[in-house]
Amino acid sequence: MIRLHHVPFSRSFRVLWLLQEMGLECEVVEYQIRDGSLRTKEFVSISPAGRVPGLEVDGLRMFESGAILEYLCETRPEHGLGRAVGHIERPRYLELMGFAETMAALVEQLNLNHVFLRDPAMASPIVIKLNTARLTGTLNAMEEMLGDQDYLLPSGFSAADAMMGFNLFAAPYYVKLDPFPKLQSYVARLESRPAYQAARARDGAQDFYTKSFYPVPAN
Amino acid sequence: MIRLHHCPQTRSMRTLWLLIELGVTFEVVEHAFGKNLRSSEYLRVSLSGRVPALEIDGDRMIETGAITEYLCEMYPNTGLGRLPGTRERRDWLIWVHFAETISQHAAALTQQHVALYDPAMRSPIVTKLEAARIGKCFGALEAALSDGREYLLTGGFSAADISVGQAVYMARYFARLDGFDRLAEWYARITARPGFKEALPERGTELYKQDFYEVWEG
Repeated sequence: MIRLHHVPFSRSFRVLWLLQEMGLECEVVEYQIRDGSLRTKEFVSISPAGRVPGLEVDGLRMFESGAILEYLCETRPEHGLGRAVGHIERPRYLELMGFAETMAALVEQLNLNHVFLRDPAMASPIVIKLNTARLTGTLNAMEEMLGDQDYLLPSGFSAADAMMGFNLFAAPYYVKLDPFPKLQSYVARLESRPAYQAARARDGAQDFYTKSFYPVPAN
Repeated sequence: MIRLHHCPQTRSMRTLWLLIELGVTFEVVEHAFGKNLRSSEYLRVSLSGRVPALEIDGDRMIETGAITEYLCEMYPNTGLGRLPGTRERRDWLIWVHFAETISQHAAALTQQHVALYDPAMRSPIVTKLEAARIGKCFGALEAALSDGREYLLTGGFSAADISVGQAVYMARYFARLDGFDRLAEWYARITARPGFKEALPERGTELYKQDFYEVWEG
């Protein structure tokens, strides 16, 4: 039995989505960021820094979404979602797994500054501005990487696309995707995948974004 | 040919330390930490305008964790990686990725304390929250080391220690190791290695001008 410890609309969506792509059954245990459930002893025994995702799989406990995705692809190669050692796309695959975290860290900083501070006046406008510019930079880089490809790697859909899963759906709260036509059609392509839709149906409702767009504060 | 693009005391120090421990021949191009990394010349090396970037056998790679994995796969006989299918692979992956989680908090605090030249630009609550999150990461490491193991993996020193160790090196500027005894012992053990010392910045090139940055009280 695979059991995923999950917060809706967070990094754990990457794992939920990959499991659907693999057609693997899983049980989902849902948490919320603000209700203290991530601080319980039981959860910390699975994910010691108290963060999602946590995964119980093969009789083991795992944390870190990138590690989980790599592990699932390596131990279940029949799904063809990883790029094994020696594969010609191996360096790009690894880079994209990392790059997704570079982008996610920027989204997380913006989440912290825009959404999770009790009083928005406690945020630093310059930090929001800098991180919004950096997030835009990563979107530019992705637009360039995509070129005319359907997915991030030339040979087709992989775990690297699922790794981007959380980012690309959160980034538009802070940066409009209008100037990125390739990225927009890429997002539409991801959304049309049955496994993505199945994952979204099990994702649950996010409770932190209350607006559809958070602009950079004027000052 | 391996050429590392590096800024002292940043994530690229992790790659530098790893290359030294691997015992391979390489060149280092040192860059200042600033807008120069966004120059069109450097963007040809690193699409994201960040360090590390690695030129390797006619290819270019970015992303510290990716570079760590790839180098360990290229030099399997060094024993610093744990290849797919091996017993410690899962934990090795967790720690290499967890190093990035710690680094993200250290990077957020570096932005607040070091990159913002005017303290009024900082957010006191964010510096406090991020420092607390580093404390939680230290707690996770303390728990992992609580059985008295010498290194993160019982099979011995690996790139997991290099990755997490260098992340802790950056994070220590913002959160103290006091109270995390096993972590402090492990950190002392791995940073006593000649390879770590060789990766330290030369005098005058430090990014961090202070030994410690207290939570900003505003």
